[in-house]
Amino acid sequence: MYIYLPIAEISMHIGIILGLGGGVGFLSGLFGVGGGFLMTPLLIFFGIPPAVAVATEANQIVASSVSGVLAHMRRGNVDFKMGGILLAGGVLGSSFGVMLFKYLRDMGQIDLVIKLSYVVFLGIIGGLMLLESVRAILRSRRPGAPRRKLHQHNWLHGLPLKMRFRRSKLYISALLPLAIGAFVGLLAAIMGVGGGFIMVPAMIYLLGMPTSVVVGTSLFQIIFVTANVTLLQSIQTQTVDFMLAGLLLFGAVIGAQFGTRASALLRGEQLRGLLALMVLAVCLKLGFDLVVQPSDLFSVELLK
Amino acid sequence: MIRAAVIYMLAICGTLAAGIYPAHAGRIVADLSEANVSITSGFHGTELLLFGAVDGRETDDIVVVVSGPPTDVAHRRKAQVGGIWINVETNIWKDAPSLYQVLATRPLAEIANAETLRQLHIGANTLELQLQSEKTQPGAKTPEPGAFLQSFARNMASTGLWPSDTGPVKLTDGALFRADVQLPANVISGIYDVRILQFRDGIVFSESQTNIYINKGGLSAMIYNFAHDYSLFYGLFAVAFAVAAGWPQWYSAAADNANYSH
Repeated sequence: MYIYLPIAEISMHIGIILGLGGGVGFLSGLFGVGGGFLMTPLLIFFGIPPAVAVATEANQIVASSVSGVLAHMRRGNVDFKMGGILLAGGVLGSSFGVMLFKYLRDMGQIDLVIKLSYVVFLGIIGGLMLLESVRAILRSRRPGAPRRKLHQHNWLHGLPLKMRFRRSKLYISALLPLAIGAFVGLLAAIMGVGGGFIMVPAMIYLLGMPTSVVVGTSLFQIIFVTANVTLLQSIQTQTVDFMLAGLLLFGAVIGAQFGTRASALLRGEQLRGLLALMVLAVCLKLGFDLVVQPSDLFSVELLK
Repeated sequence: MIRAAVIYMLAICGTLAAGIYPAHAGRIVADLSEANVSITSGFHGTELLLFGAVDGRETDDIVVVVSGPPTDVAHRRKAQVGGIWINVETNIWKDAPSLYQVLATRPLAEIANAETLRQLHIGANTLELQLQSEKTQPGAKTPEPGAFLQSFARNMASTGLWPSDTGPVKLTDGALFRADVQLPANVISGIYDVRILQFRDGIVFSESQTNIYINKGGLSAMIYNFAHDYSLFYGLFAVAFAVAAGWPQWYSAAADNANYSH
C-alpha cells in the first residue's frame, strides 16, 4: 500500500516507512541513541527531499527525547540549570541554523551542505567510536592497564561568567555550555539530529560533567532545541512532513522495544563497535555519492 | 466548461485561416474516464482512459498531447569542485508544462513532417520555453534555450513527468479511438490540458480539447493546506503531537536510554 506524503510530495510504500522507523527504532533501542543521524541519511537514500528529511526528523526526535527524558527525571539525572544554559545556546544556534538552511535552500545548495555535514560528522564520530571500542575491548583483555583520566582542567575553565552547577558538581564559565549548545543547535537545524552524539562527548570531555547526568541533561535540552527547529522550519520552509513523522514514530516505538531486549545480549564495547561500523558505512555511502561523477550532470526541480 | 469549449472551437476556426487546417474540418468528440483526479493519501499515480469518436478514415492518425499546469522549473548543472560534485549553475525555465506527454497512433515522424509538428508544438523538442539565469544581474547573459532544451527534456523524462516515448493511441475503423493517459505519482495539482488532433495526409484535419482537473484531496490536502496557510499553528501542532506521542512511550524506551552510560 502506497501512501502519499503531503509535504515531501512523493508517494512511498507504507512498508518502507514503517520498516525504516522500526529499523532505526530497533537500533536506537539497541545502542541507546536517538537515531536521527541514521534516519535522516536513510530517508534521503529512499528519495525524500533532504530538506524535508531534516525538518521531519527534528519533529520525530522531539518525541523520542520526551520519552527518554522522563525516566531520567525520575532518577534525578537531569541538571536543569546546565540544561537551561545549553538550551539557551541551542535555541540561538538552531534559530540561526534554520535561517542558514532557508538561505542555502534558496541557493539550491542545501542538499550538498546536508550531505557534507553528514560525511564530516559521521566520519569523525564513527572513527572515534571505533577507536574507543577497539581500545576498550583490548583493555578488557589486559586487566591492569592504566585508565584514562576523565576530568582534566585546561584553559576552558579560565573563562569569565563562572556559574555553579550543583547537580553536575561543577564551577565553570556559562559561556562554555552556551557555546556548545549553540553549536549543537546549529547542527540540529542543518542535519536533523538531536545532536546527542556530539553533546554527550562534549559534556564529558569539555565540561567535565559526571556521566550519570550527561544523558538525561542532553535529552532535556534536545527536546527544546528540536521543538524550536520543528517550529521554525514549519514557519520558514514548510518542510515538516507531519504524516511522515507520525508513521516513522509509530514504527520506532515498536522497533525500540525489540532493540532494548536485544541490547541485553551484547556487551557494551561490542555494541559501540557495531554502532561505529554502521555510522562509518552511512558516512562512506554519502561520501561516495558526492565524489563519484553523477550519471547525469543536470537535474531539475519544480518550483511552485 | 461548455463555454470554454465553445470559445476554443471558435479559436480553432480562427486558426483555419492560418493554412495548417484544411477548409473542410472534421469533428472529434472526446471524453475521459475520469476528469477529476484527487491526490489523496493513497495516491500512487493513476491511469485515465481517453476515448472518443472521430469523423474520419482508417488511414487517419490521432495525436494526443497532454500538458500539465505551467510551472517554473529550476535546471541545475553540476561540476566537480575540489573533488566533489556540486551544483554550479542554475537556470529557470519559465512556465514549463509540469507534465508533457504525447500519444499517437504511429511514430510522429510518419504522421507529419518536422515543420508541421514544430508549428503545432507536438513533441518536447518543439516547446518554446523561456530560460532565465537565476541571478539576474545587469549585463548577465541570457542563456540560450536551444542548447539546454535537450538535457532539460531528458531530466524531466527521468522524473516521469515528461515521458520520452510516444504512448499508443488505438483508432478503430477510423471512427473510435482510445488511449491511456498515465499520470505519475508526482503530478502537481492544477488544470491539465488535453489536445486531440486528427491528422490526414500530414496535416491537421480537426482538433478538440478537454481538461483533467487534479486536486489534492482528503487528509493529504488538509495537511498540505494547514502547513502552508497556518504554518505557525502547524509547527505548534507538530511539536504538541510529538510530545504527546513520546509520553506513553517512556515505559518501553526509557530503560534503554537509562542504560546508556559512558
